[in-house]
Amino acid sequence: MPLRANLSALDNIALIPQYRHNLDYAAASSLAWNLLLLAGQDGAALKRDPQLNPVERFVAKLLRAAIERPPIILIDRPALLLPDTHYPPYLSNLLERLSDHLNDCWILDYRWNEPLYPLPLPRPLALR
Amino acid sequence: MERASLSASPPPPPRAPLIKNLEFKIGLLLALTVLLGAAFIGYALYARGAFQVSHTLVLTAEDVEGVSVGMPISFSGFPIGKVRRLHLMDDGKVRIELAIPREDARWLRQSSVFTLEKAIVGGARIKAHTTNLQDAALEDGAVRPLITGDATKDIPVLIEKVKSILANVDNMTAAGAPINQTLGHVETVTGRMAGDYGLLQGVMGSPEKADKVVKALDRANTLLTSLNGVSLKVDGVLGKADTRLFGQDGVMDQAQQSVAKVNALLGDVRESLKKADAILANAQTASKDVTKITGNVAEATTDMARLRLEIDDSVRKVNHLINEINKKWPFARDVEIKTP
Amino acid sequence: MPAISNFLTRRGAALLATSRIWRATLGLAGEVVVAAVSPAVYNSATRTVVMKQIYFTAVQILVPFTLFAALLSFVLIQIVVGTAANYGLSDYALEMVVRLLVLEVLPLVTALFVALRSGSAINTEVALMRIHNEIEALEDSGVDTLRLEFMPRVIGGMLSVLSLTAITSVLALVLAYLAVYGWQPWSLPDFSRVMGQVFDGAILTSIWLKSLAFGLAVTVIPVAEGLATPKMLFMAPISVLRGMVRLFFVLMFIEVASLAFKYI
Repeated sequence: MPLRANLSALDNIALIPQYRHNLDYAAASSLAWNLLLLAGQDGAALKRDPQLNPVERFVAKLLRAAIERPPIILIDRPALLLPDTHYPPYLSNLLERLSDHLNDCWILDYRWNEPLYPLPLPRPLALR
Repeated sequence: MERASLSASPPPPPRAPLIKNLEFKIGLLLALTVLLGAAFIGYALYARGAFQVSHTLVLTAEDVEGVSVGMPISFSGFPIGKVRRLHLMDDGKVRIELAIPREDARWLRQSSVFTLEKAIVGGARIKAHTTNLQDAALEDGAVRPLITGDATKDIPVLIEKVKSILANVDNMTAAGAPINQTLGHVETVTGRMAGDYGLLQGVMGSPEKADKVVKALDRANTLLTSLNGVSLKVDGVLGKADTRLFGQDGVMDQAQQSVAKVNALLGDVRESLKKADAILANAQTASKDVTKITGNVAEATTDMARLRLEIDDSVRKVNHLINEINKKWPFARDVEIKTP
Repeated sequence: MPAISNFLTRRGAALLATSRIWRATLGLAGEVVVAAVSPAVYNSATRTVVMKQIYFTAVQILVPFTLFAALLSFVLIQIVVGTAANYGLSDYALEMVVRLLVLEVLPLVTALFVALRSGSAINTEVALMRIHNEIEALEDSGVDTLRLEFMPRVIGGMLSVLSLTAITSVLALVLAYLAVYGWQPWSLPDFSRVMGQVFDGAILTSIWLKSLAFGLAVTVIPVAEGLATPKMLFMAPISVLRGMVRLFFVLMFIEVASLAFKYI
């Protein structure tokens, strides 16, 4: 799902608790800010969708999903969302940092990409 | 639990959101819109007199064609109130209710008269006329008759007059109208007068003809001088040959015949000069008229003044010519051409 | 024979599609209005989105558009006042200016402007969301798209039309006063008298209704048209085109209807 173009990355992430739990903006944005800090992307907080680079956009989307602590997060073919990035190490690093806020995270990728991932695989990785 | 630990973490969220003062700007916009809308409705109500304490004045009239609700009533050209309600009463008259704001009610007195005037262009107007402002004030709810002064009643008469005037103007300006012809004549005459031969040309009609007259006069003059010479010679000859040539079939007979011929010739010359004289007399009267016309016109235009100078000049030339003729020809009358 | 029946079938289908989209538009308008006036709909997220939407559709364009409207008003006022003076109708110049500008031109120009700027953007956004199946995705995850996606846009557009109309109209009135009476305050009673003649209850109501209708049309039609887009990417421009044309006709229809209401 795309980010709302007229909201900043921070507001986009904060919107979820605002909508789900009617959390006021200050509380919601501070939650979102903390997540962005953890992910190391606090520089993207005030950028709007068109100004984000692919990594920042990926992080914003992931955090928007993660902020509600769903039982499972599925990352489908991360190569599509992260072009020009050597994504497997970046991804494992990111998920490591956010491990406190994730219950279960699955990465879905092609089998021929298996050698790209470092061993041992940090998170469940479904290959096909 | 989880959230508490999160919000306890040191770096505070940025307090400079994407758009500065978003709430303030939107609040300002909303407030401005609501304020403008409300203020405008309030103003419209005020303008319609909703907040004014007004007196009621009732006017009755036979016919209120052209009167509408909201129409102003004016006093000395200033609107002092407006029609609030119109309705037809049982007796067929119309009741006009007017609302007069209290501060304007002082212009209306017991002796005030109200008229309805219908202009040719624009709508009808209700007017209040108050001659004595010291009179007792008109009470609230007073009923007064509305006098209808209908300007349109006079229109047919007015139109008839205008029509006859227009017809006259039409006649005057139509092609072939007398005044047009006169003006046309004046134009040709003055045009000719402006030519080389002045008034003479004007009378004769063309420069050639005028030329001919002048030449004829010249010839007549030369003829006269030569005739003088001839008659002197003839006298001399007659004196010398008085006795010798007085016989029958002599020179005398032939001389007598030739003298008779000369006399006839002189008669002819005289006739032709008489004609010229008549022509000049005509020219005199004509030029009098012309100068009268041009004199009138000259008052209006400077061009005409110049024309008049030219005509005067021409007349002077003719006078001079006549004087010349007078010098040479004793039987001329006391001719004088003057411009008025 | 089959050609004729074929033709009739196609015409009938087209007619049904047209009527369907009009019904959808009206239905959406009703839902949005109901949602917009029910306080339960507003939670923290909706407020954030509505405010952002208002900012981007109304506040951002306020100053440039007001300047443009002032220029347009100034020129039109000069023309009308000058022409009226030429024909000896100066008494009616002010009334003419107010009727022309405040009642007709400015609301319509504002609506057209917001339609071009926000309406087309909304139409494109909604069409793309529909083509990318995002609306269904949102609905599946339990998000009420009406109150989070559509209603904020409609509110933003409506408020934009209303506030811009109000601001530019008042500005035009001030300009008209200055053009007719000059830079002095003593003619205010005269001005008020003319205003009182022009703005009776019916006219005031019709301005408000017209502006509301304009605001609603400018946003609801693009949303409805976007929602009706077939799920093919190449249909997005066609959807925007259709939405804009329909919007234009609706705006003109509202204008003509209001004129008929006022003067017939």
